[in-house]
Amino acid sequence: MVRIEHKRARIIIRFKNSKYEWTIEPRYWRNPLIAVVALVLAPLLIRDYPNLLTLLTTAYIYMLICIPQSWQTVGTGRLNFGPQFFVGLGGYTAGLLSIHYGFGPLQTLPVVILISLAFAALFSPLTIIAGGLYFSLITLLLPLVFLEFTYVYSGIFRGETGISGIAPLINLGTIRLNYVVLCYISLFMTLVYMLLIDKILRSRWGVLYGAINDNENAANMMGVNINKLKVTCYIASSVLVGIAGWFIAHYFGTFAGVTYLPFTMLIKVLLISMLGGRAQIYGVAAGAFFVVFLEDALRSLGAIHYWIFPIILLVFLFALPEGLWGIYRKHKYREYYPTMRVRKR
Amino acid sequence: MLNIKNVTKRFGNLVAVNNVSLHIDEGEVVGLIGPNGAGKTTLINVICGVYKADSGKVEFNGVDITNKEPYEICKVGISRTYQIPQPFPDMTAVNNVAVAVLGRRDVANMSFGDALLDASHFLQFVGLLSKRDVLARDLTLYEQRALELARALATLPKLLIIDEAMAGLNPTESLRAIRLINRARDEFNLTILWVEHVMKIIMETADRVLVLHYGEKIAEGSPEEISRDTRVIEAYLGEKYALR
Repeated sequence: MVRIEHKRARIIIRFKNSKYEWTIEPRYWRNPLIAVVALVLAPLLIRDYPNLLTLLTTAYIYMLICIPQSWQTVGTGRLNFGPQFFVGLGGYTAGLLSIHYGFGPLQTLPVVILISLAFAALFSPLTIIAGGLYFSLITLLLPLVFLEFTYVYSGIFRGETGISGIAPLINLGTIRLNYVVLCYISLFMTLVYMLLIDKILRSRWGVLYGAINDNENAANMMGVNINKLKVTCYIASSVLVGIAGWFIAHYFGTFAGVTYLPFTMLIKVLLISMLGGRAQIYGVAAGAFFVVFLEDALRSLGAIHYWIFPIILLVFLFALPEGLWGIYRKHKYREYYPTMRVRKR
Repeated sequence: MLNIKNVTKRFGNLVAVNNVSLHIDEGEVVGLIGPNGAGKTTLINVICGVYKADSGKVEFNGVDITNKEPYEICKVGISRTYQIPQPFPDMTAVNNVAVAVLGRRDVANMSFGDALLDASHFLQFVGLLSKRDVLARDLTLYEQRALELARALATLPKLLIIDEAMAGLNPTESLRAIRLINRARDEFNLTILWVEHVMKIIMETADRVLVLHYGEKIAEGSPEEISRDTRVIEAYLGEKYALR
């Protein structure tokens, strides 16, 4: 059965023949603890400003999309240009089930996971047959085709207006309390995503993902089953993005493909993961807060972010290729952490 | 040990490897030589599963490995180094080797920490332990080749295929590399298929030499026999020299 040992700053969990090690080094705990405490306290401090609360929740929603996207970029060695497809899939599945069959959030969740799993499995061979630019181009088409679908079959997807009347995630009576609790739920989900993917990237799988990212043929030659790793990474991360879509649908109570599927959403996703730091999951947090607050600040100027965001993305890609998190990593270098490899040729 | 029967590989109309058969016995060092474009690297790529053979059969210890995936062939016990070193540039040296350790069959449940420890032994063997935390892209050419050897050894191969390990090395470095490979052969009990342009090295180290020319095997024998073979001299230097 499961045996747990404590040995030299490591907790070793054994189950049958498998062994899992969890390194406990309290000297590395300070900064993560400060960050988590700050994030947990923030909603309480700004509970009287619903505007700021929604901004925080929006940042967490972006993180829910971008953290799995970063994992996928590292794990498959390919840049996915259509993570919004699974946001749309999760959102529409949750919404349609809710309004047609009266499903609650907890009942729609397993269906969303199953549907995302099925579609991710269907598209996962792309990670084997297409590489580089071709993978990006094919994945770019997926959400745009889905968007066309929502217009063509507007009887089902309700086109531009979207589905409304989706069962809310929680209802605690007062709106203010709802806002605070929803903010905490999204924060909790974000932290779970971060912890989960951080543990994966720091484990033996992380170094194999790094190898795939650096040179997948050499990794294959050294006995690493790259196809299995790429396909599982694509499927798992896509399901996590699908769950983000589920959260969006139940959080807002409405879901319209036109908000999440178009190209502008992709620019935001890329901006968050690149500006944060080349597909590093902690950088995503920095990037998400930056984008959300910048978007809010520019709101009074109209739809300016359509061209401001791409310009910022381009400037950052050239001026700060390691991203915001990269600056921190440079000064606090500890150990290998897989990131996206930038090919300049 | 390794048995290749009538392997043919075509790229469009070009026949890169034409009906080549060879066998390697356990413990041998076999040299594979040939002029540029003779199909040496293509043959290696067919053995390692990078290219799929159009016809023919590759057997290793009685197991048919024709057209298997590279990672499966690696797990059977064949490992290779590259002509142009292909390390994982953004990883440290020890992580490079750890990937090879984790690709092994016997380590299905090894933790990352244990893999790093295991990788350090191989780095020590090739003399790179002091550079374990240096990024692979910052290593010199000799060090990158040594790293490739450590990576290849970390998969615990039975057959090691060396693809032009001396290219670009100065005489001192070549000598170090040869000593290193010989030591690896003794300590890890390896069989070696050695592709090389530097004739002197092949003549000194190989037990048997195979010569490829335009994708066909034109000669096979001990280094002395090969150095006297008229077809080989013709292939390398032209007809005029063969007649002398």
